Amino acid sequence: MNSMNNIVENIKSELNPENIEIVKKNQIAIDLKNEEVHTALSYLKSQGWRQLTLLTCVDWIKENKFQLVYILMNWDNSVTVQVRTKIDRNNPKFKTIINIYPGAEMYERDVHEFFGVSFEGNPNHEKELFLELWDDIPPLRKDFDPLAYSKKKFDVREYKVDFIPKEGEAE
Amino acid sequence: MALENEKFNEDKINEIDVNELDCRDTLTFWEKFGNIFRSKSIWMLHYCTGCGAMELPPTMTSRFDMERIGMAPMATPRQADVLLITGYLSVKTLRRIIYTYEQMQNPKYVVGFGSCTLNGGVYYDSYAVISRLDYYLPVDLYIAGCMPRPEAVMSGFKKLMNMIKKGEALGWKRYQKYYDWYKKNQVRALGEVYVKDEFHE
Repeated sequence: MNSMNNIVENIKSELNPENIEIVKKNQIAIDLKNEEVHTALSYLKSQGWRQLTLLTCVDWIKENKFQLVYILMNWDNSVTVQVRTKIDRNNPKFKTIINIYPGAEMYERDVHEFFGVSFEGNPNHEKELFLELWDDIPPLRKDFDPLAYSKKKFDVREYKVDFIPKEGEAE
Repeated sequence: MALENEKFNEDKINEIDVNELDCRDTLTFWEKFGNIFRSKSIWMLHYCTGCGAMELPPTMTSRFDMERIGMAPMATPRQADVLLITGYLSVKTLRRIIYTYEQMQNPKYVVGFGSCTLNGGVYYDSYAVISRLDYYLPVDLYIAGCMPRPEAVMSGFKKLMNMIKKGEALGWKRYQKYYDWYKKNQVRALGEVYVKDEFHE
């Protein structure tokens, strides 16, 4: 736990995040401004967080924001850092990080496909990855209605109702 | 929402009940003769689409041992007789399944496994999983359950064998006869039946 405090102090002094919290043992989350993310990622990579475990996105529809979450892992002290930043939901755009973590290319394509965030600087970010010939708004946004889409696209089997329980009758 | 529903009713799949249509009128003596032997040696294509494939290892191996009723797995579609759709079928897999099915030699049979192929099952509201298989491929037999236990699977296979013997498993003939109807439904759900793999470009 002592080393954890050291890491937290170090991150606080170096990166000056808006908010820092210890999520659980060996896991730290930091909230940053948009323009600080790339510096922070380069710094963390130089400090040993060499693995980008995941890049994902959270839809905060009431705030009208998307939150990008970069999860980094350090194999020397097994501490995971989540770098989080919020971007505008109406015109979601962010700068790519493929020059820092080249493996992020696929994750950025993934996020673009399921949330519609475009990553400037990633030449392939608009290429489809999992969904083929998708024809609606990105499916993991909160305002997407999967049931309506499923009904529209794939017709369901209709069942004849044989028995309707009367009022008060146990089912 | 109401508007959307009305629109969806307009361009709904035109339901001709293909399963009721009789394709049996052309059974010759040699076809009947062949059916008896076909029913006793069935090769199922070893292609697993969903979670239902979990029930196949116990069915194939020593405890239930489907080889004793004359079934065995086969690696390639061109040499297989039965295509098992095991569990949920995503639209991405459906494209591959249609390719696979069309590669198989006649006569060929399709078995739908579990409730997902019947009516969508737990994936009834998924944007990526089809709800009803027999709109897209001619299904000879459904095995209900989520998942069906190996006993149910074996009983289903036994039933399929009886159907083949009697000449009732004629899905492949329906597919030939009503190819346009099936194709229309496939295009409706998939947009385009094509398979593109960027890693082999």
